[in-house]
Amino acid sequence: MEEKKTKAGDWRSYQRVLLPPVKDLHKLDVYEKHEGYKALREVLTTDKWDPTSVTNEVKKSGLKGRGGAGFPTGLKWSFMPPVDPNIPRFLCCNGDESEPGTFKDRQLMEYNPHLVFEGMLIASYAMSIKTGYLYIRGEFADWITLMEEELEKAYAKGYVGKNIMGSGFSCEIVIHKGAGAYICGEESSLMSSLEGQRAYPRVKPPFPAQKGVWGYPTTINNVETLTCVPLIINKGGEWFSKIGASSHPGPVLYGISGHVNRPGVFEYPTGMLISDLIDEVAGGMRGGKKLKALIPGGSSTPILRADQIVGVTMDADSLRDAGSMMGTSGMLIMDEDVDIVSWLRRITQFYHHESCGQCTPCREGTGWLENIVTRLDEGNGQLRDLDILLDLCTQMEGRTVCALADAAAWPIRYTIDRFRSEFEAKCRPENVPSGGVLETA
Amino acid sequence: MGDFIKHPFVDAPDRNPAPLIPGDQLVFTSEEKKQIQTWISRYPTADGAIMRALWLAQEKFSFLPPEVIKLVAEEVGIPYANAYGVATFYTQYFKEKKGKHVLDVCTCFSCQLCGGYDMLHYIEEKLGVHKGETTKDGLFTVQEAECLGACGTAPMLQITNGTFVHNLNKDKVDALLDALREGKMPAFTSVTLPQDEDEMGGNRRTDVNSVESYIVPPVSETVS
Repeated sequence: MEEKKTKAGDWRSYQRVLLPPVKDLHKLDVYEKHEGYKALREVLTTDKWDPTSVTNEVKKSGLKGRGGAGFPTGLKWSFMPPVDPNIPRFLCCNGDESEPGTFKDRQLMEYNPHLVFEGMLIASYAMSIKTGYLYIRGEFADWITLMEEELEKAYAKGYVGKNIMGSGFSCEIVIHKGAGAYICGEESSLMSSLEGQRAYPRVKPPFPAQKGVWGYPTTINNVETLTCVPLIINKGGEWFSKIGASSHPGPVLYGISGHVNRPGVFEYPTGMLISDLIDEVAGGMRGGKKLKALIPGGSSTPILRADQIVGVTMDADSLRDAGSMMGTSGMLIMDEDVDIVSWLRRITQFYHHESCGQCTPCREGTGWLENIVTRLDEGNGQLRDLDILLDLCTQMEGRTVCALADAAAWPIRYTIDRFRSEFEAKCRPENVPSGGVLETA
Repeated sequence: MGDFIKHPFVDAPDRNPAPLIPGDQLVFTSEEKKQIQTWISRYPTADGAIMRALWLAQEKFSFLPPEVIKLVAEEVGIPYANAYGVATFYTQYFKEKKGKHVLDVCTCFSCQLCGGYDMLHYIEEKLGVHKGETTKDGLFTVQEAECLGACGTAPMLQITNGTFVHNLNKDKVDALLDALREGKMPAFTSVTLPQDEDEMGGNRRTDVNSVESYIVPPVSETVS
């Protein structure tokens, strides 16, 4: 009896590469024994590699950004303008990880920090960058301390700093501590925050590769994206492109939370069947309840009903066809007892709190979304409120500097679309205040 | 419908409030000044160091009234208005005096579904305060926090912008509050990856004293 082959292949015997099963891998000496900084050494000291060939290898691997948008990493790197010795260039590693439902980068920082540094250094080499900033959200104070300790050791051993391994290549890594703002996960707002300003997003274009931090060329990558880079150098882009789904290859950290028996972060290839992830990897639904809905990659990715995930795999194409997005692969699993309207109310509360206040449609719109969903949740809603909500979403989407307004509108739009009956049940005719006119939607 | 609009008009802040930190305490030591200079040297302009400098000031003075922000701005060498803008943008900088321990209880949706509000209400009841308030003895401030990035170990809370306390339940909250009253801060807790448990029989870090694992989340009683 041969089992039907999934895109993830034989995932049950998958050997982890981002977080390999090695005790104390976070320590520099242990990391060195397990091919630590081998990729960096090879890139810097052998003739096989130059900046262009590193970028090409990453392009060949098909690595896509793991921060949410899924943009091809090699292509992003090649957007950097030609080197001009008078113009500094910067790398930003985005460890803000503030998307609700996402908790994967923290594990990399805790268990494999040197892989993050190595990835940053190789990326810096590929783009001839001399300073890399690692932006970590302020809530991760403990992890910032851990990372700084390890960074100091890497500096002492000469892996970071001036003239690394005698190759003439110098690169500094600076850890920047945030202070609690969801918006800093957006790349242009991260740059504002790094410059010591209020973290307001900026209009694009100019894109960061042209005008980034302090007006200089900048590339911004997610922590998990950069940790894939040393693996690509060590084992080749072709090896990487064969892991998981061919259109969206590589290992992924799936952060599974919610009503499952075994929540947590799991490393598996892309293209895992969602049903496999819930039933086998995460140990099934809590208390044997039925699955009601899930979000596949953080709060802004559209919600999927249980009947929409049949045969759907965790990669960009399959999820797009199913009507959602890969996002950050932070999955939230909801069982049949969940009140979707209350859940949505909490999401709107989040976006209202986290809107930076720069653009009017978002600043005011998120507040109105929260007010109206709260009214619905408290049972004081009318059917026409659903239309008002959808109209508000239309007025917010695409009319702001960054994508936060879209991210706030999508959950509303798709949740109403996919769970309309639950909203309607909460605004029954007898709930309409006297004098209110009930319109049929 | 009258109370539907929840946003009241906000009074403009007092432009010259009375200082809350006595003038003789309002100084940085030479080590702290050196530390700030080190941070400044890591950025092309001094502005980049403002966030770290504000963190340092908050650890020293426990909150950031205008006079402290002014001191930081002078030390970093940027306009006061810029520093004030930064300090008021980010939620983790405290603009007013909080309790000795600030309990940020996460109630964002993963925690909401796994009993975050149960824990928030339990702590509120136990301490006799509402969220956003400080207990009379000045020991605890309870706050409702947005996603803190520990959804797998929901419900959870963070103590004064520092340590995470995972997998909360009522017993754990009781023990935590008692320990904090005695002045004992919980240690950094490493949460074991489920795959590590399978393949290595436990946590991969041997240098941490406090280890927990991902467990089945509790059933939520209240949803908001």
